[in-house]
Amino acid sequence: MASQGTSATPGAGAHAAGSPQALNQIVIEYLSKKGYAKTEAMLRVESAHTDHEGRPILSNLDDQPGVKYQKAYSHLKNWIENSLDIYKPELRRLLFPVFVHSFLQLVKEGHTKPSQSFFAEHSVEHAAAHADDLMKLKAISLPQHIDDDHLARLYRENKYKVNFSSTTSNLLIHFLEETEDNGGRVILRIINDHIEMKTIIGRPTMFGEEEGILGEDEGIAGHTSGHSESGAILPVIRLGPLPMPADFMADVEDELREEDAAGGDFSVGLLDEFHKNIKREESEDSLMRGHLPLPPYTGVDIEREVRLVKESREKMKLSGAPAPALPSVLMYTFHNTNDGLQCVDFSEDGTIAAGGFAESYVRIFSLNGKPLVSIIPTENFPVAPKTRRLIGHSGPIYGVSISPDKKYILSCSEDKSVRLWSLDTYTALVSYKGHDSPVWDVRFGPYGHYFATASHDHTARLWSCDHIYPLRIFAGHLDDVDTVIFHPNSAYVFTGSTDKTIRMWDVQTGNSVRLFTGHTGPIMALTISPDGKWLASTGIDSTIMLWDIANGKRLKIMRGHGKTSIYSLTFSMEGTILLSGGADNTVRCWDVAYGTGAPTAEAPEGASATAAAGGGGMLPSGDGTTKTNERMLDSRPDHLQAFYTKRSPVYRVQFTHKNLCLAASANMPNAP
Amino acid sequence: MSLWNGDTIKDVSESVGVANLNEDVAKNLAMDVEYRIHQVLQEALKFMRHARRTTLGTQDISNALRVLDVEPLYGYESARPLRFGEASLGQAQPIFYVEDDEVDFEKLINAPLPKVPRDVTFTGHWLAIEGVQPAIPQNPTPSEAARLSETTPKGASSNTTLSAASTLNPTTNETVTIKPLVKHVLSKELQLYFERISTSITDESTTDTIRNAALASLRKDPGLHQLLPYFVQFISEKTTHGLRSLFTLTQMMSLTHALLENDSFFIEPYVSSLIPPILTCLIGKHLGSSSSSSSSSSSDPHSQTPAHYALRDFSASLLKLVCKRFGDSSHTLKPRLTRTCLKHFLDPAKPLPTHYGSIIGLAAIGGREAVRVLILPNTKLYEKVIHPEIEDEGPRKSEAEMCLSALVGVIKQLEEEEEGGGWKGKNGVPPIMPGASAEEVKAQLIGILGELVGEEVWKLRREALVKAVIEAGGMKV
Repeated sequence: MASQGTSATPGAGAHAAGSPQALNQIVIEYLSKKGYAKTEAMLRVESAHTDHEGRPILSNLDDQPGVKYQKAYSHLKNWIENSLDIYKPELRRLLFPVFVHSFLQLVKEGHTKPSQSFFAEHSVEHAAAHADDLMKLKAISLPQHIDDDHLARLYRENKYKVNFSSTTSNLLIHFLEETEDNGGRVILRIINDHIEMKTIIGRPTMFGEEEGILGEDEGIAGHTSGHSESGAILPVIRLGPLPMPADFMADVEDELREEDAAGGDFSVGLLDEFHKNIKREESEDSLMRGHLPLPPYTGVDIEREVRLVKESREKMKLSGAPAPALPSVLMYTFHNTNDGLQCVDFSEDGTIAAGGFAESYVRIFSLNGKPLVSIIPTENFPVAPKTRRLIGHSGPIYGVSISPDKKYILSCSEDKSVRLWSLDTYTALVSYKGHDSPVWDVRFGPYGHYFATASHDHTARLWSCDHIYPLRIFAGHLDDVDTVIFHPNSAYVFTGSTDKTIRMWDVQTGNSVRLFTGHTGPIMALTISPDGKWLASTGIDSTIMLWDIANGKRLKIMRGHGKTSIYSLTFSMEGTILLSGGADNTVRCWDVAYGTGAPTAEAPEGASATAAAGGGGMLPSGDGTTKTNERMLDSRPDHLQAFYTKRSPVYRVQFTHKNLCLAASANMPNAP
Repeated sequence: MSLWNGDTIKDVSESVGVANLNEDVAKNLAMDVEYRIHQVLQEALKFMRHARRTTLGTQDISNALRVLDVEPLYGYESARPLRFGEASLGQAQPIFYVEDDEVDFEKLINAPLPKVPRDVTFTGHWLAIEGVQPAIPQNPTPSEAARLSETTPKGASSNTTLSAASTLNPTTNETVTIKPLVKHVLSKELQLYFERISTSITDESTTDTIRNAALASLRKDPGLHQLLPYFVQFISEKTTHGLRSLFTLTQMMSLTHALLENDSFFIEPYVSSLIPPILTCLIGKHLGSSSSSSSSSSSDPHSQTPAHYALRDFSASLLKLVCKRFGDSSHTLKPRLTRTCLKHFLDPAKPLPTHYGSIIGLAAIGGREAVRVLILPNTKLYEKVIHPEIEDEGPRKSEAEMCLSALVGVIKQLEEEEEGGGWKGKNGVPPIMPGASAEEVKAQLIGILGELVGEEVWKLRREALVKAVIEAGGMKV
């Protein structure tokens, strides 16, 4: 149109001897004289892109394969940084996938050197939220690595999801189209091929996300059924407790009535306590009893139920306003482990502990001083010992779990097997083989019988003790499954993975019914509140996230363990207190309700918002005048207290039904 | 650009018989090697994490290689960190290798078996009781914890290992190995330090400069926490066995003072152990050798007060410091101390120096309030104890006079602090009661305080003081 008219201007060739600038000058003068204002403006714009020799500088980035991604990325970044503040947080999320794909594309096309300088130049910008991925990507330098590397394949074969509000996405598309030749086309291609831009309803917000935290739906999550993205229909889940069989309930009630009659001047009878706090009847939200087949109950089950009722009556109340009361923590410190202790589990009543060691054995410790008597008489010669070793695995033990009835123990190991041991005979009973990689975690279901395992082979599996093959294989995670835990009603299993997601699986169907994304590192520990409504997760990124299971939304993020891993989490019986133990040698205590908008929360929503906006969250250092107590508390108000150990990383924290927290740590006298 | 050098690839290829490796091939191979090493490390890190460790070990690498279907490297299993040696061949780059000790077979066979490593044991303790961390040896002291909390939540750029390392401050001496069953092992240096300090303080022959330096070090130096219990023990031992030596007692009080001054000590748990020595020095029956006290008492009492009164004064001020610092946190501390002092004050059978000590002690613990409530009402009664002695011109006259001056001294406090109180302005009451003549006021004063003390106080000619006393006395009546 107009621009064509310019190039067709007569006399363009006649002034070939003059410099191109001069020529342009003449043409512009001519156009302004004639009043072709639009044409003139267009020429000015276009001629600005030529160097003094008259050659176009950036006629088309596609012609410069080595630098086009770098230029396009910088271009996009500049534009984002210069855009309005309200759009920035959303737009910034686009940068990381564009960065990754630019880098991979560079490597793919064989531009090793530019790819490395590109990586070196821009990786710092993403270090806060994506340190883990960056570390893995860094090594990729040859085209064949891209097909070989797990993470690179993940990025190239899946779409990275980013949420945008419609205004923002319009702005972005408009910008990219406008600057097509300037790099826009490169970015557009990346977005088309590898990024799924989801337009969500709502306005962009300036204060939404914190630095270093992923957006809730951001990232690659594999198949996404059960994800809390807006508008998606979530699979129905029932989080109510598993109802007790009527005859079992009757038996337990009889037993309790006897106990009540036998005496004890408690203000609350056991039966009342049972009716008030323990009894599980069928309700709207609960599962049908037949939903989950369990073996018929025995005397042991009744005994356990009675014990639970008693413990529930004796428990220390940890609820209350404004802040919940703080718990007592009983710390068991293991000595002379030489860093060989890898995992610990306590029995439900806190009388025995099991530890898994790097030297391929499991060790049982009697915590109440009573000897561990085996029913095989010769095993007790000369006297029954207070600690026993279970030998059978051929690799380091990564997980142990004691059954709720204290009769069995499970262990999983690097040797790909899971073993069931009897706590009557202290011998091996079964070796479950099914995983074809090291097994990272094993956990008994809340009623025994079933157990779940998590493995390096990217799957989690559900087993029952009486079958040597898995009943369900939960496949869907894109990387190692690091940790596994049962829902209190035994009908769901939660898994945390190195792919930074947590999934909730329906035991009955084997489907993934919820997906929780947001962590920036592998998930190392999960726990579910006793009422089955909330999930807490943590991982290498040393943040604790609290989730509402029913709608799959993140309620809040808690920070305070510095930059070290958190190994274990536990909820108090009322679900008001969360304890965490980690590699920074502390047990920390968190107010669960604070800032979640839960009815018990004393602080209004606004308070938590300002606290979050407060930023860093670290106290000023070096202020000698502050009192120690104040200094010990992080400035985050939901961080109630920190308990320090003497150089002993805390491997496990576990609330008993009496609301006493048991903790296990290993003393490291030679730690740096 | 890559960490792995192409030359290394060439060296290796030559060693396996490929002589002329293309430059590009070597470079590509180098990059690939680097990638593979990264891959192995990624896997090894997983094993490290799941083992709940923060240091990567050789075993992790072996496990990672197994998972990656690579033949493991044998011969590197080692619990101890590997030592790397360095060798340079001519002008080429230095070569690093794992140092292997040469072992004499004969020696190895004949050597006694190594000790069986200690078995894994556990100890249980309360990390927290209803949210409060009890001050027991198994838990770190609040000062340690405060330091930990300062170092852990920071370090935005530091990785796991680094921040784990930074949780312990390497400059302090407190990083002493903790054995199971919480046996404190003092480092050689700390033992030496304790030895030096204790001798220099208790040795009468050392010069003041050295003593002062020792005390100054105790007052200021951080990292002596380990020694605190030993010093506390030392003080109480020396005090009980050194009652005859005024010098020792004075030094012990200075030592106590120094310990109280040092900010880096968490001294609270030890306060109860520090109190008895202080009280001993305050209200002890005979402090110092009897000869010295008798000689000083026989000399003119006004020109030189016996040295033990100075010690008592010093102890009283220490007591005041203790009450000020720990009175709030320990509710029973002040009442306990007050009761002890009052008991000694009101017991006429006790020697007069004890009375002296308890008078100033009471004032130190309770301040004006104690003087008003506990001392004022008893002054008149108490006069009966000292009056005969003062009249008597006997050997105990000087002691009685000291008590008298102590009484007057503490009563003076009434006025001093009253001035700050400012009731004068509020009520508009004139300093001396309206309409009363000086004689009447004096009579009233003596009525409250008794003849001796009343006279002394009147002699001071301080209207505000008189006013305050009468006010306080009137309240009582």
